[in-house]
Amino acid sequence: MNEKIAYSDGFRIISDYFKSQGNAPFSFQTKAWEKYEQGYSGLVIAPTGFGKTFSLFMAVLMDFLNHPEHYQKGLKLLWITPLRSLAKDLARAMQTAIDEIGLDWIVQVRNGDTDPKIKAQQTRSMPDVLLVTPESLHLLLAQKQRDKYFKNLRCVTVDEWHELMGNKRGVMVELALSFLKAYIKNLRVWGITATIGNLEEAMEVLLPQAAKRIQIVAKEKKKIAIKPIFPSTVELLPWAGHLGGNLVDQVVPIILASKSTILFTNTRSQSEMWYQLLLQAHPDFAGQIALHHSSIDAHIREWIEDNLSSGKLKAVVSTSSLDLGVDFKPVDTVIQVGSSKGVARFMQRAGRSGHSPFETSTIYFVPTHSLELIEVAALKEAVKTQTIENRDPMVQTFDVLVQFMVTIALGGGFRSEELHAIVANTHAFHYMETEEWQWCMYFITAGGKIGKRYEEFHKVIQDEEGKWIIKNRRLALLHRLNIGAIVGDAMMRVKFLSGGYIGMIEEYFISKLKKGERFILAGRILEVAMVKEMTVFVRNSSGKAITPSWLGGRLPLSSNLSHFLRKKLAAAASAPSSEKELHFLAPLIEKQAELSAVPSEAEFLVEHIKTREGHHLFFYPLEGRLIHEVMAALVAYRISKLYPISFSMAMNDYGFELYSDKEIQLSQMQLEQVLSRSNLMEDVISSINSAEMASRKFRDIAVISGLVVQNYPGTQQNNKSLQASSGIIFRVLMEHDPTNLLLKQAFTEVFNQQLEEHRLINAFERINQSKIRYTFVEEYTPLSFPIKVDSLRQSLSSEALIERIQRMEKTNAQKKKRRK
Amino acid sequence: MKIGEQTITFNKQELTLNTQRSIYWKDQKTLILSDLHLGKAAHFRKHGIAIPTDTAITDLTRLESLIAYYQAKQVIVVGDLIHAGINQEVLLLESFRQRHPELHLHLVKGNHDRLSQQMGIRFGIVHHKEAFEMQQIQFKHHPADAADSSSFRISGHIHPGISLVIPPKRKVRLPCFLVSTHQIILPAFSTFTGLDSKDLSSLYQSYAISDDHIFPITRN
Repeated sequence: MNEKIAYSDGFRIISDYFKSQGNAPFSFQTKAWEKYEQGYSGLVIAPTGFGKTFSLFMAVLMDFLNHPEHYQKGLKLLWITPLRSLAKDLARAMQTAIDEIGLDWIVQVRNGDTDPKIKAQQTRSMPDVLLVTPESLHLLLAQKQRDKYFKNLRCVTVDEWHELMGNKRGVMVELALSFLKAYIKNLRVWGITATIGNLEEAMEVLLPQAAKRIQIVAKEKKKIAIKPIFPSTVELLPWAGHLGGNLVDQVVPIILASKSTILFTNTRSQSEMWYQLLLQAHPDFAGQIALHHSSIDAHIREWIEDNLSSGKLKAVVSTSSLDLGVDFKPVDTVIQVGSSKGVARFMQRAGRSGHSPFETSTIYFVPTHSLELIEVAALKEAVKTQTIENRDPMVQTFDVLVQFMVTIALGGGFRSEELHAIVANTHAFHYMETEEWQWCMYFITAGGKIGKRYEEFHKVIQDEEGKWIIKNRRLALLHRLNIGAIVGDAMMRVKFLSGGYIGMIEEYFISKLKKGERFILAGRILEVAMVKEMTVFVRNSSGKAITPSWLGGRLPLSSNLSHFLRKKLAAAASAPSSEKELHFLAPLIEKQAELSAVPSEAEFLVEHIKTREGHHLFFYPLEGRLIHEVMAALVAYRISKLYPISFSMAMNDYGFELYSDKEIQLSQMQLEQVLSRSNLMEDVISSINSAEMASRKFRDIAVISGLVVQNYPGTQQNNKSLQASSGIIFRVLMEHDPTNLLLKQAFTEVFNQQLEEHRLINAFERINQSKIRYTFVEEYTPLSFPIKVDSLRQSLSSEALIERIQRMEKTNAQKKKRRK
Repeated sequence: MKIGEQTITFNKQELTLNTQRSIYWKDQKTLILSDLHLGKAAHFRKHGIAIPTDTAITDLTRLESLIAYYQAKQVIVVGDLIHAGINQEVLLLESFRQRHPELHLHLVKGNHDRLSQQMGIRFGIVHHKEAFEMQQIQFKHHPADAADSSSFRISGHIHPGISLVIPPKRKVRLPCFLVSTHQIILPAFSTFTGLDSKDLSSLYQSYAISDDHIFPITRN
C-alpha cells in the first residue's frame, strides 16, 4: 500500500474499527480503499460473505476522513442494489459502523417499501448515504429537483452487478450512470460482483471508456462440498419427476440433523409439491417449515425471511426467490432438488449455507431422475475449475431507452443533442445510429415516425427554450407509476373470502378451474369460491387438490454445464470410473451401451427407435431445452425437405425427439446432411414461426416502452378504454408500422435470447466435427426414455394451419358420428 | 379484400356469415356488424400511447368494400361504433357519410357509445337506445342469456373467440361467430380488439375465422 495512505488518519481509524470487531481487513479490501482514494473507479470481485460491502463503503469513509474538504453537505454515496430486501439490512450494517466510528453520517433506504413521509423528508434534505434500486434511482431522475439531490455526490456503487448486467435493469443502471457522470465532475463509479465468466466485459459495461479503472479480485475462495443423495437402486429407464418423491425419506433426516435448511427447487410448482411431500413424510414439520416463492404474498415472504434469520424455522422450501438476499445466519444446510441448470446458480445456492468466510458450504443434491447424477460429477468439476457462466449484457434495448427519455423529460427536461451524447456513451447504445435516436425522439414526441397522422399525440413537448418536457400531469403520473423493466405475468390475486391475501396465480390456470375446485398455493389447499375481476376469492379446504403450473420459470441449461455433462457422460462409458456418481450409474450406462451406444466426446449420437407406437429419432446435443427446441424444428424442417413428413417433437435438457407415425427413411449420409452447419440460420428462420416468438418477446417491450400500461392510478376499472394487450398491439404494428424499432427489437431478442444464435452455431460446429453415431434400436434406451415420457411436446408440419384445422375437424366429426 | 362465406338459416332467414367479421342479410340488403370501436387508436394516442392511426382507416375501408361487394342498402351496427370521445378518427365518419349519402345507417347503442345520440344527428345515423327489430329479429348490443328462447337476437359486445388445439399440441385463438337457434353473437368488426375465448361450445355452434376461411367447429 502507498505509504501516505497507510499512515493516514483515515486508514488508522478504519483499521481500528475492524480490530474492535475482532477482524482484520482482507487484502482486497485495503486495496479497494487505496485505489478509491487515488481517484479510481473499478470493479471488486469477491465471493459472498467476505465483506465486499465494506471494501467500498469503508473506502468512501476513509477518503472522507482523510479529505473532508472534498465532501459537501448532502448525498455523498449512492448505493444501487438489485433487491429491496437487501437494502434494509445493508443500511443497518452501514449505520452501525458509522456510529461506532463516530461520524454523524446518516444512511437511508429509498425504494418502493419506503414510507412516503421519509421519502418527502429525503427530497427536502438527502441523507449522506442512500440505498436505492435501479427503479427508485430512475424515479429520482424523474423529479424536477434532481440536480439538487446529486449536486455533491462523490461515488456511486453498484452492488451485485452480476445480477443486473444481463438484463434490462442493467441497462437502466448504465443510462442513469451516464447521466450522472455528465453532470457531476470526478464521479467515481464502482461495481461489486460475484465471479462470472466475463469479468473484463462486466467492467467495460459498467465503466465504458473510464480513464482510471481497475479490477480488484479477492484471493479468498469459498469452499463447497457437494453431496449427492443416491437412490437405493438404479432405474434403468429413468423417469423425471418420479424419483424425487422417493428420496424424501432420505431428505428428512438431513433436515432433522441440521439447524436450519433451505431446500431449493427449480419451479414454483415443484416447490409446492416438495412442501407437501415433506409434511407427509414427517408430519411434525407442520409449523416448522415454510414455503417461499415469487407468487407468494410479499408480507408472508418477509415473515419467512425474518424467521429464517432468527432461526425459528427448521426448513424453507424455495425457488430462486431465495437465491439472493441477506444472509440467513442459522442456515447450515442447503439441498438442491433437480438440476440447478447452471454453475453460477449452483454455487450461489451452495453459498447460502456456512456463512463465515472460512467455513465449507455443504450442498446436498437430490436427483429427480438417476441420469441427473451425471450432473453432480459435472458440477464438481465445474466448481473445481471455476468455470462459471458469462452474463451477456443487453444492447440496443430501445424500450428501456424511450422510457428513460420520458423520465428525463419529466425531471426538468433535456436537449436532444445533449441527451443523445449521454446515451451514446453507454455500452448498451454505443453503436446506436443517429436515425435510431431520431426514431426514439419521434416516438415520445409524435407517437411514431409517421408524423402528421399523429397530431393528437402530445406526450413530450418542447418548451420556449427548446427543452423537451412533459406538461400533462396525468401523463406524468402515469409514467412515474410505470418506471421499471420488470414485467410481471398476467397474474390474479388470491384472497380469502374473509379477507387476507395469499399470493398470485396465473390467470391462465384459474380460467381452467371451476367454482368449488381445489388447488394448492403457498402450501395451503384452497377452494375457489368466486372470481371477481382480477381476484380469486377462496376458502381453506382439505383433500386432493391440483398443483398449479406457472408458465415460464423453466430455466435453460447453461452452456458451461452442458460442456461438462457431455464430458462426464463420455467418461462414464470408459469404465471403471473412480467418480462415485458415475460408478453408481454403471448399470444404466452399460444398458445404454448394449442397446445403442454411449457417445464419446468426439461423437454425436442419433438413435433411430422403432416401437409399437411409431418411429422416433432421438438426438443428444446436451445443450439445454431452449436450444433443442430450435434444433428439433430445424432438423424436422430439413428432413421434410427430403420428402414430405410431419413430426411431433419433444425435448428436455439432454436431447430431443422427432416422432412420426410414418416410417422415417433417413440414411447415414442424409443424416449428416440434415445436421450440416451450412445454411444454418437461413434454415432456422424457415423452420420456426419467428413472428409468434417475437410477439411473445414483445410483451415486455410493450410494457417497458409504455405501449401497454400496467399500473393506473386508483382503480383499474376506470381505465378499461385504454387497455389493449401487447398481442393486439404487436399485430397492429406489424400491419401498419412494420419499421417500428420496438418491433425490430422483439425480433432481435428472439435471435439473441430464444434462438441463442451464437450458441446454436457453436453446437452445429461441434456436431460437424464429431463422428455421427447412428444406431437402430427396437426399444427405448436409458437416454431416450426420459425425453419420451416427460417433456414438452410440440408439433411441426409443413402443412398450412388451415389444412390442419380442417383435418382435425374432419376427424372430430367422424368420431362424433361414430359415437351416435 | 378476400371474402370467405358461410350461409346459415336463422329464424327462417338466410344469413351469410363472412370472414370480414360481418353478416349479410340478402333479403333485406342489410349488412350487420358490431364493435367497430372507431377512434380507439386515437384515444390511446391522446393518452400518450403510440398506436398508429391506420387501424381506423383500414376498418372503415373494409366496411366500404363490404358495402360495395354486397351492394348493401342498409348497415346495422349492433353497438360500440365509437370507442370513447370524439377525435380525428371518429371524424372519418364524415367523409364516409359523404361517399354513401343513400345508405341507411342504424346504431344500437353499446356500452362504449356514450355520444351516440349526438353522433346520430351529426352523421345521419338512426339511433336506437335499447334495441332495433326487423322480421322478428332483435338487434341488441348485449347477448341474451343462452337459455333465453323468448326472442331471436343478434348481438355483439363480448368479442367472441375460440381457442383450438391442433394435434398434437399447437394452440391457436381465432375470432368467431357464436350461433344458437335463438341467438347470433358477432365477432368484433375492428381488428384492434382482443378476443374473449371462454368455452361456450355447449351453448353455441362456433364459426371460426382464419384468414380467408370460415368454418364451423365441431366439439366433442
